[in-house]
Amino acid sequence: MSPAVGLAALAAVCAATVLIGVYGLRISRTTGDFYVASRTVRPWWNASAIGGEYLSAASFLGVAGLILVSGIDALWFPIGYTAGYLMLLLFVAAPLRRSGAYTIPDFAAARLDSRPARTVTSLLVVIVGWLYIVPQLHGAALTVRITTGLPGWVGAAAVVVVVVLSVVTGGMRSITFVQAFQYWLKLTALAVPVIFVLLALGSTSQPITDGGAVFHSDLDVSDEASLYRNISLITALLFGTLGLPHVLVRFYTNPDGPSARRTTVIVLGLLSLFYIFPTLYGVLGRIYTPDLATGGQADATVLLLPARIFDGAAGDLLSALVIAGAFAAFLSTTSGLVVSLAGVVSQDLFRGSVRGFRWAAVLSAVVPLAVALATDSLALAGSVGTVFAFTASTICPLLLLGIWWRGLTDAGAIAGMVTGAVLCGAAVMLAAFAGSALGRFEELLAQPAAWSVPVAFVVTIAVSKLTASRRPLTVARVMARLHSPEHHHPAPRTVGR
Amino acid sequence: MTGQPGRPKDQPDRPAPPAGVREPRADRPERVRVTAPRSKAPLAPGRYSVSRELAEQSEVGEIFIRSLIRSQLRLALVVAGGFGVILAGVPVLMLLFPRINDITVFTVPLPWLLLGVGIYPVILVSAGLYNRAAARNERRFRQLVDDERIARPGWPGGAE
Repeated sequence: MSPAVGLAALAAVCAATVLIGVYGLRISRTTGDFYVASRTVRPWWNASAIGGEYLSAASFLGVAGLILVSGIDALWFPIGYTAGYLMLLLFVAAPLRRSGAYTIPDFAAARLDSRPARTVTSLLVVIVGWLYIVPQLHGAALTVRITTGLPGWVGAAAVVVVVVLSVVTGGMRSITFVQAFQYWLKLTALAVPVIFVLLALGSTSQPITDGGAVFHSDLDVSDEASLYRNISLITALLFGTLGLPHVLVRFYTNPDGPSARRTTVIVLGLLSLFYIFPTLYGVLGRIYTPDLATGGQADATVLLLPARIFDGAAGDLLSALVIAGAFAAFLSTTSGLVVSLAGVVSQDLFRGSVRGFRWAAVLSAVVPLAVALATDSLALAGSVGTVFAFTASTICPLLLLGIWWRGLTDAGAIAGMVTGAVLCGAAVMLAAFAGSALGRFEELLAQPAAWSVPVAFVVTIAVSKLTASRRPLTVARVMARLHSPEHHHPAPRTVGR
Repeated sequence: MTGQPGRPKDQPDRPAPPAGVREPRADRPERVRVTAPRSKAPLAPGRYSVSRELAEQSEVGEIFIRSLIRSQLRLALVVAGGFGVILAGVPVLMLLFPRINDITVFTVPLPWLLLGVGIYPVILVSAGLYNRAAARNERRFRQLVDDERIARPGWPGGAE
């Protein structure tokens, strides 16, 4: 594969993203449009946009890479990524839309009637967003390095520039179009090459599953995951999705609660369809790219597989398609995160003006760029999993208890969030720096969700009970707002006269 | 958002002119002030439901809302629990019957099939069932509220 192919694919995706952003600018007129597309986005568009935003570097590159390295244990990642949306549907989607708040800090402020709770939530949302952007930029750096031979920082910087440009000019409305486009691009970019690969292998009777040998755990490079690790991972993914800032902001673009639920069901369908393909790449990679697993570049499986099967122009074309899809993944997740972070930062620092939103967008993208350039890429799916654990230990208790339990107080919410953040953050840091010196505790610390999430919940509930006098007076009103259904037909106001 | 459709785009961050200083021109929609932080702006624009009004303002409404929340929470927990049992079932099966790996479909072992493909339809079915049941709970709530309003004409949203 020649570097020109990679460069052409990258340039095409970046140009298309900016163009759609500019096209969206002409429709985006008011501050309402700018922030949340004035809540006029239809469920299918919205669901595609959520899918486009959610399917990040971890899904596009990381899942296949993990299957290459650790076999069947890796399948828990896409299951968790998808089932997290089921949890979102069950516990959060409709009430959150009805809350009418735009960001998670808005929700905290409205539900708890408390300024400090809002500030703590804002801080956590910004940390989560930054942590989540970093792996996207690592993915971009990896893609550029492997496919074009250019230094990795070019990829990370390109993502930040394109995202800031399109967010600053178009705001949320254009982003909805961009994101919806990105989902279908990503799906095509994974599906078409792998279908051609399967057809080619089938017609030349080369092995596809090698008579089942590909599934054997002998091919795994990493050790078999323990039961604890799998439980902890699933906890993190199931409960972490609830609190992802870029996911929640999408729900405000639904007109009402039932359409928020409908959108979520469509999202589940789109995700289920999508994850078939990274899984296929991972399985095929176990025969055709095993050198990547041992060479520590497993995340490049998706990018390199087509060229291992096809020579010449066909290989180039299919590779270009996968590279374009991968870049679409980094762009869309990053821009979704930047929009939601900019929403939070501009509300709290820049008084919610459009110009403030633009400066906040720049700030939200540049900080993680600095972090990404200073750090090295681990396995993408793994580092994203850590962010999920952090979200599940901090924002998830606030949302779940805030929506379903009247007893939550601002003191309880703050105590729970701080406990979760400190425990989860310290555990992951300790595991990263002390590593194998910790012996059998390493796993407990590297995958903290199984204990840090319950502890955060217990602390939130306990402190809320102790500070029951701080329950906001507005709680009954807010609960009614969160849960009572909208009237779809004009209410019969003359009845009973 | 407090923005209204059709409001001119130029500098929406500029505050509205104080009342009485200048009458808004008739051919142009009134300028609306966008406040920050959002918590100070009125929440939840759009459809304001009578049932919500009732629920916020009366004791019976409060009882209805509590029972709605309870039934929605019970529903969500039941669906999540059912899904959790099925999800946990796969590794438990693998642990109890290690020979399950020998069952293959087109050379793919059964655990790979279940985790790689089979779990997704379960997620979709759970979501679809939940969605229908949640809408049913809300319909029942609306029905209750409407009946109550007819029975008591003096209530909010009822006769004026």
